[in-house]
Amino acid sequence: MKKILLIFGVLSLLIFIRPALGLNSNLDTNKISSSISVDQADQADEADSLDEAFEGIKHFYNYTGFANVTSGNLMMILIGIIFIYLGIKFDYEPLLLIPIGAGVIIGNIPFVAGNQTGIYETGSVLNYLYFGVVKGIYPPLIFLGIGAMTDFSSLIANPKLMLLGAAAQIGVFATFMGALYLGFSLPEAGAIGIIGGADGPTAIFLSSKLANGVNILADGTTVKNLIGPIAIAAYSYMALVPVIQPPLMRLLISKEDRKIKMKPPRAVTQKEKMIFPVVALILTTFISPSALPLLGMLFFGNLLKESGRTERLADTARTKLIDIVTILLGVTVGASTQADIFITKDSMLIFGLGAISFVIATCGGLLFAKFMNLFLKGDDKINPLIGAAGVSAVPDSARVVHTEGLKSDPSNYLLMHAMAPNVSGVIGSAIAAGIILSFLG
Amino acid sequence: MIYIPLFTDQISEGYVILFTGLIIVFSALLTLSLFFKYGLPVMLYIYKVITKRKDKKISEIKVEADRNFTGEIAAAIGAAVHIYLDEQHDHESAILTIKQIKKPYSPWSSKIYGTQNRL
Repeated sequence: MKKILLIFGVLSLLIFIRPALGLNSNLDTNKISSSISVDQADQADEADSLDEAFEGIKHFYNYTGFANVTSGNLMMILIGIIFIYLGIKFDYEPLLLIPIGAGVIIGNIPFVAGNQTGIYETGSVLNYLYFGVVKGIYPPLIFLGIGAMTDFSSLIANPKLMLLGAAAQIGVFATFMGALYLGFSLPEAGAIGIIGGADGPTAIFLSSKLANGVNILADGTTVKNLIGPIAIAAYSYMALVPVIQPPLMRLLISKEDRKIKMKPPRAVTQKEKMIFPVVALILTTFISPSALPLLGMLFFGNLLKESGRTERLADTARTKLIDIVTILLGVTVGASTQADIFITKDSMLIFGLGAISFVIATCGGLLFAKFMNLFLKGDDKINPLIGAAGVSAVPDSARVVHTEGLKSDPSNYLLMHAMAPNVSGVIGSAIAAGIILSFLG
Repeated sequence: MIYIPLFTDQISEGYVILFTGLIIVFSALLTLSLFFKYGLPVMLYIYKVITKRKDKKISEIKVEADRNFTGEIAAAIGAAVHIYLDEQHDHESAILTIKQIKKPYSPWSSKIYGTQNRL
């Protein structure tokens, strides 16, 4: 049995590499047939049908990935594998990187166009799933889950930390200007800028509204479709927060400042926690109505959590629902990096701008925290490190702040304090997205 | 016919968005923080007056006794309890077997038993 399999395997392999070797088909079969007498008899009888069979195999070969592969595909598949590796080995946001990595591989399997296979072909299954990204359906659902799992009590206890979340949004607007100077049009630049908000769902939401390849600019040209590069840049830099932020913290914050201990936040009553989502929803969306899908869902999710009566709904929102949406979002965003569309000069520029925007956002948060310290006295002083958590990237950047704080003083636990700017960063970047959308949408 | 906007125009519009955007973001979060700093206590006070029920405030609980009891200690205790509760289950063998019972006859499975011994 093994022998038969082996012979069959060798035979099929030879057929496949025949074009590469430039060998005549008869030569090949003769070689093999000398060892297998039964095959030889068959071949002699059915030379015609064999030719047809070869034609069929050739035809099939033209449909395989091997015939259609390009260097771009291989490069992107390699990137997908690196994403998966980073997620597994270093535990950098594995819940994002592994679906995206798998999606990158799925999206870059070469295929023959026109069979409703690829993510960009109308009617394909992947295209239907991608619909949720293109129309910005997934991000609000993710925000619902985030709202249902976020505890805003540290923010309610210390409302002034909310300003740190606003300071980190400097990154958004600075990147926006950078993109403009690099020659992107206004809507494209707006979508690229939001990478600095360090918030994947917000970035996808805004880019699906502004840089979706459908909208028409004032000069008559259509905007580029940048959803893929922006989402990948946002998510990969979010995963790299533990790499990007610590050097900046050490650079900007002095050793003494890093050791500042903050007084424990006061206890917050349930009533305050219930009032927070309602009031915050009304206030923020009155200021920036375009961010309604994001902020509305965020605070709605939080109300489900804090009302105390809808634990079932909150539980679904923060576990099953957000998991389902994350799976679909991750895979389709990954798959949208199809090499022939993704590998462009623009994507590279976006990646560069993304890195800069993270740096600026982190610096903005850190420096603003130092600035706030000028006005605060004694016990009220804040540890400037928590400014870095003002870029959203919940909860990774808060965790980075915590570990950095522990490095300077092993008894200084900053996690609880860092969560306040962290969640206000989410609110801030959603507001910023709303503002950009209302200007450019 | 709309003409292609000049490069400088785009940049200047960008600066407009930059400044207004930053101001709006800051003012939005500032309003929010001001509200929770000053507005919320007032609201809670009014609520208390309306309901006329004595609301137990955290500040009314004497803090002198547990001045050293910080959130960190509470977190440590919480973590310890959590770990302890997690370890309540001992590791059982995962192999489940259905054992043959010693006495194969049981009134529960007997039809004749049921017909002879009326309840």
